[in-house]
Amino acid sequence: MNYNGGNTTGFVSPAGDSLEGRIDLSATLDLSRPSRYPVRVAGDALASRGIVSGDILIADAAFPPAHGKVAVVMMHGTALVGQLAFTKGQWWLASGHAGVQAVPVTGDEAEIWAVITGLVRTEV
Amino acid sequence: MAVFGLIDGNSFYCAAERAFAPELRGVPLVVLSNNDGCAIARTAEAKAMGIKMGEPWHLAQRRAECKAVEWRSSNYPLYGDMSRRMYEVLAARVPQVEPYSIDEMFLDLTGLPDVERLCHRLRDEVRRIAKIPTCVGIGPTKTIAKLANRIAKDDVALNGVCDLRGEADRTRYYAELSISRVWGIGSKTAATLQNLGIVSIADFIKLAPEQVRDVLTVTGARVQAELRGQSCLPFTLMPPPRQGIAVTRSFGQMANTWGQLREAVAAFATRAAEKLRAEGLEAGHLSVFAHTNPHNGDPWYSASRAAQIEPTSDTLALLSETMRLLHACWRPGHRYFKAGVMLANLTPARQQGQMFATRDTVKSARAMAALDAVNARFGRGMLRPAATGTAMAWKSRQAQHSPRYTTRAEEMLVATAF
Repeated sequence: MNYNGGNTTGFVSPAGDSLEGRIDLSATLDLSRPSRYPVRVAGDALASRGIVSGDILIADAAFPPAHGKVAVVMMHGTALVGQLAFTKGQWWLASGHAGVQAVPVTGDEAEIWAVITGLVRTEV
Repeated sequence: MAVFGLIDGNSFYCAAERAFAPELRGVPLVVLSNNDGCAIARTAEAKAMGIKMGEPWHLAQRRAECKAVEWRSSNYPLYGDMSRRMYEVLAARVPQVEPYSIDEMFLDLTGLPDVERLCHRLRDEVRRIAKIPTCVGIGPTKTIAKLANRIAKDDVALNGVCDLRGEADRTRYYAELSISRVWGIGSKTAATLQNLGIVSIADFIKLAPEQVRDVLTVTGARVQAELRGQSCLPFTLMPPPRQGIAVTRSFGQMANTWGQLREAVAAFATRAAEKLRAEGLEAGHLSVFAHTNPHNGDPWYSASRAAQIEPTSDTLALLSETMRLLHACWRPGHRYFKAGVMLANLTPARQQGQMFATRDTVKSARAMAALDAVNARFGRGMLRPAATGTAMAWKSRQAQHSPRYTTRAEEMLVATAF
């Protein structure tokens, strides 16, 4: 039988009229929005932002890019995730590694693809 | 006055692939049909290399210039989800959206201010959020909106939006465009008209409506009225009721033996029954066909059988009928290349037992509900009749299937931390 806390066989369950569904994380993360894409992180360059390899990021393509936000950027034929910076009239992708130069988000196919709005870690 | 928009994804399947694969941007790309047979979507770069719509890929690949073309097997779970995203972006911004096909949607723009600017904005937002580049056509009828969309696709100077609400604009385009460019005018109809000396759209709309009806029946008369600006095709917000369900496929590997053919067709019947139940229907007519490959030099053999059946959506009942019909089609010595199962006379499933039923319909409904529940939870095909086999050599070839980025957790986009 598919017992849900309400359908008891002997004593009537006092919870019967108060049953609720289970917590649905995809609702919490609002994954049904057309702008939301889950993205898996590879590499630990963003550890200083609390983002480590294997994390699932919630990327939102409708969210406006802003200085300091973490975003997915498509550039030079790769999907990168890094911190955005806006200086000298253009967007840059700043590296999480100290001493690594920021790179400008330029080129025909370069695109700020989506801004990260949340994070899921399934193993801590 | 009504205002219709038609927004259409540019090389939709290729755009969906490129959305997640930046290495595919700027390079020629084609997406192939089931079984990696023919090119069914081409980027502008691939079109420029002379790859034709529907061109068999094994032939195109022999051409030296096509060696550099990237190709992907079709990834329908991805395309379906990207189409859903496109629809939802639009539905949040205009009063009504009609999903006409996976890559094109009619918009109800009636009474909205500054329609052209709105359409530019819709294009930008579909591009940014659903990752699909599009073009938009605007007109007082669906047929004109569709024509405007084609003009926007061909003329890059229009920046993706063509507005044909104005009669003067229409007159200008109608004089120079061939009638064959119009939605609903096939090549045969265009040839018929050409024989009468009617070449341009302008020629066509000058004809008397009675004459058009005589030559092209009421459908042609409707096209003419729509081109003249009288809206005959209203918004449709419900898909039409299903006439039939078909599951037909060419095989990844030819079926030489009865066992191989039976397994494939059993799997098709199982899938057809699933579709039937998902829509709450029962079928009263079943047909089955199988044939050899018409292109590879094998002797041509094609057979089909059909039967009226007691209305049902039970996989096992449909399977036994299918096998009976298929066995009558089967001749040894042929290499079967394609087969299919078609269900017709569809009626809503009845909940109660039927008076003259030869099966226990209540028991059958329970068994099928359990079967569907298991497959919904653990993935399609997890629980299936043994007749569908285990080798599944018939399964289509999909040598370059991209990840199902948005529908499978284990296949989501991977981005490198910078």
